[in-house]
Amino acid sequence: MVDPKKLQDKAKEILVRDDVRRLIGWKRGTYGYEAAPAVIKDASDAEVLIFDPTCVQNPASFITLEEKLPVPRGAEPDTRKVAVMVKGCDSRAIVQQLVEKAYDREDVIVLGIPCRGVIDHRKAEAMFGDVAAPVEVSLNSDKVTLTVNGEKKEAKREELLMDKCLRCRYPNPLVSDFLLDGEVEKFADDDFGDVAEFEKQPPADKWAYWEEQFSKCIRCYSCRNVCPMCYCVECIVTKLRPQWTRRSTDISENTAYHIQRAWHLAGRCIECMECQRVCPVDIPIMTLNRKLTRDVKELFDYEPGVDTEAQPLLASYNPQDPEEYIM
Amino acid sequence: MVENYRPKIGVYICHCGINIASVVDVNAVVEYASKLPGVVVARDYSYVCSDPGQGMIKEDIEKEKLNRVIVASCSPRMHEPTFRNTLKDAGLNPYFLEMANIREQDSWVHEDKEEATEKAKKLVEAAVAKALLLEALEEKEVDVTPSCLIIGAGIAGIQAALDIAEAGFKVYLVEKSPSVGGRMSQLDKTFPTLDCSACILTPKMVDVANHPNIELMTYSQVEEVEGYVGNFKAKIRKKARYVDFDKCTGCGDCAEACRLAGRIPSEFDEGIGNRSAVYLPFPQAVPAVYTIDPERCLQLSKGKCGKEGPKCAETCQAKAIDFEQQDEIVEVEIGAIIVATGYDIFDANRKPEYGYADNDNVMTGLEFERLVSASGPTGGNIIVGRDKKGEGGYEPKKVAFIHCVGSRDESVGNEYCSRVCCMYLAKQAHLIKEKLPDADITVFYMDVRAFGKGFEEFYDRVRREGIRYIRGNPSEIYRKGDDHTLIIKVEDTLTGTPLEHESDLVVLGVGLEPRRDIREIIDLFKLSQSTDGFFLEAHPKLRPVDTASDGIYLAGCCQGPKDIPDTVAQAKGAASSALILMASGKVKVEAQVSVVSPDECRGCGFCIEVCPFGAIELVDENRMGNIVKVALVNEALCKGCGSCAAACLSGAIQPKSFKDEQILPQIAVLGVKS
Repeated sequence: MVDPKKLQDKAKEILVRDDVRRLIGWKRGTYGYEAAPAVIKDASDAEVLIFDPTCVQNPASFITLEEKLPVPRGAEPDTRKVAVMVKGCDSRAIVQQLVEKAYDREDVIVLGIPCRGVIDHRKAEAMFGDVAAPVEVSLNSDKVTLTVNGEKKEAKREELLMDKCLRCRYPNPLVSDFLLDGEVEKFADDDFGDVAEFEKQPPADKWAYWEEQFSKCIRCYSCRNVCPMCYCVECIVTKLRPQWTRRSTDISENTAYHIQRAWHLAGRCIECMECQRVCPVDIPIMTLNRKLTRDVKELFDYEPGVDTEAQPLLASYNPQDPEEYIM
Repeated sequence: MVENYRPKIGVYICHCGINIASVVDVNAVVEYASKLPGVVVARDYSYVCSDPGQGMIKEDIEKEKLNRVIVASCSPRMHEPTFRNTLKDAGLNPYFLEMANIREQDSWVHEDKEEATEKAKKLVEAAVAKALLLEALEEKEVDVTPSCLIIGAGIAGIQAALDIAEAGFKVYLVEKSPSVGGRMSQLDKTFPTLDCSACILTPKMVDVANHPNIELMTYSQVEEVEGYVGNFKAKIRKKARYVDFDKCTGCGDCAEACRLAGRIPSEFDEGIGNRSAVYLPFPQAVPAVYTIDPERCLQLSKGKCGKEGPKCAETCQAKAIDFEQQDEIVEVEIGAIIVATGYDIFDANRKPEYGYADNDNVMTGLEFERLVSASGPTGGNIIVGRDKKGEGGYEPKKVAFIHCVGSRDESVGNEYCSRVCCMYLAKQAHLIKEKLPDADITVFYMDVRAFGKGFEEFYDRVRREGIRYIRGNPSEIYRKGDDHTLIIKVEDTLTGTPLEHESDLVVLGVGLEPRRDIREIIDLFKLSQSTDGFFLEAHPKLRPVDTASDGIYLAGCCQGPKDIPDTVAQAKGAASSALILMASGKVKVEAQVSVVSPDECRGCGFCIEVCPFGAIELVDENRMGNIVKVALVNEALCKGCGSCAAACLSGAIQPKSFKDEQILPQIAVLGVKS
């Protein structure tokens, strides 16, 4: 576990630097099983920072979200760095953003946190119900201890952790300037068994399944907004000329939207699962993304978000690339 | 402005003789097209590209006030320029033309008349959908710098340089090695006329050195090229020779004095002869200036040459040796570039079954050229198996030649025919017969391709000289016992007899391959390769010397294997292409270029990485006080290929005339079944 004191001290040390604009991390949430994101500008506010298994949200999403406001006449644009705390999975988003040249490496300070897993609020709600007060959670090698409304509760690790943690290949940050804790040993692996299992279904069943899932979509675009890789200046779903997708929420347009999003993430999705976590109508978006992740890995031996020196998949060319895809 | 008017579309359906009309019901397509939105006239004609055909379009533009024209005929690759000119002649912007390809994409590939007609209707309807959204584009012109850069001074580069220089334009001729001449200077006699290669080449070598319009840069390499057709800039590294170019008289005293004299395998003699560390590649070398090999020279590589210091410097009366010489970088501005980088021969070690590595009496065709050449290490005497000092050896009695080593051979990845081996082996067999009349000579061949002028006659003559041709591709060559006898295992495929043929000299007819350093040239000039690895021409038949990059032309074997006449012909072709450009002084640049929407661009630069023409750069843009990087297209360089549009993650860059909003309605029409 990360010592909160050490984490806050490091944050303060960075925030007092002249070349740092702000720090993004986590603070205790206002209710339930999830921590809230914290954006700190002043070292005196660093005391709120925490890290525990409720810190699910990927702070890397915020780096590209920031809008460049007009600079008042005579003033200089603010080019100071942004510091960001990341888990292993979150760090892949930074790697991929660097690969895509969303910003330069020297624009960010990465505070890496080796992570043993974070909990899935849906699983926790199913086991212990909704709670109005924030829940404290700690984790050891096989169980999760929760303080729900002052009461100690326990659950097995694999019952409560996010699915992504149960197949986590990168528990340690792949890019960081400072590590806030000792590295942890890799505790899980991913064979994409879930994708293979899903693919076994006959096409008609798969179609029926997705029809049902997509018909639920209310097109709130939460999945897009939270995604660290969705940072186009103008998103294709809101473009009017040409209009690729209509705004109406019907099965046809919803399907088009989700397929477009999945394709746009092919070779880019770093599997932080944020899209699925924030979905208000519980669409299993990661099932789509993981299919593409697996295909990209098998066809092109490419894994996004692991190597800052890599070429983006769709901006690289190799005469030996397989062409099964073209048929 | 004409484009602001309500669209008035004219549709012209071409019969293309019977090419289209025999499969597509042209009248039905005309009938269908005439009812499409915005269409004012729809007509058919037997050959729309003919003069009356074009006249019909011009007349309609005038009478019906057409502002969009659709021609449904062949591929735009063929006649788009033709019809653009028609529009231009009639006073309409040429980019208001849209073509529907109902020949290559329809009548030539379909048999069912009804379905082919339906498809033709759809293709025309799609063209109408796009035509409504076409924009007027402006054709721009740029000035051309009246000079040319030629890379490689083999026979191709030399010929092109002489032609351009004679026409009165400046030429920079850059050669990597210390002398001009290239592969041709290594050859002994040339087939089928048996002229001495040196005799016909040397005068041209001297001419390029003396021509007032040619600036010859030997022992130099192009390091950087930027710019676009008509306005290139190149950085050329003149490597240090460590010999003063102006002082050296070419007397050769230094080479004799060199402590390593006769101890370094000579590249020019393909390793069968030796040279010194300070050397002239061959006696007729141009320029006749010695060069010190910095990797082998003791003074340069080890910092010390004997106890008394370098002997070359001591001997040189002209005081030309200068160990302090540095590389020099020269920058030149040119309008056109000719790439004539030549070839490498197939590495015979890639066919280990022929025993090339283990037996010094198995040699490549090029090694044999040096062996048989009067200027070669043996003075033209055919003596094999000499020791390192060049002594001993024997005259071969039984000689075998093997065809197609590394050509027409999928197992080594070369499916192509190298085009010269059949004839050079026949010539070499003839040369042996001439010098050793008693030698028993056998040629093992797959096919004999004697396609050129005088080739078949020469092949006949050689066979009549008593040279045996056996049809069969040897499976193995190995040494028998301790002497130098080689056994060639082969099946005579005409009689079906397996043979074990004895021989004491085997010459491998190695094929031609792209140069091993071809990658450097590709990266430098952004060229493409065809599947055989040689440079890709713009069109295999009609544009054989052009490349996809305007202003860059190909000559000689870098584009594919060729004999000397073909190489010279292509060099003259490349020279004429470069001259057209330089003589006209102006060049039109592509109007259908990519455009960036700076508001959507996030400055990642992926477009720059994929652009095959180096046409995009990132520039600073002030966005309300924030300095951001955005892509900017150099319209003179862009060819509108669309690679950038495919790579752009945010859809911020699009080729004109092929913008999403223009092609989507087209796709929508094609996608809906009627």
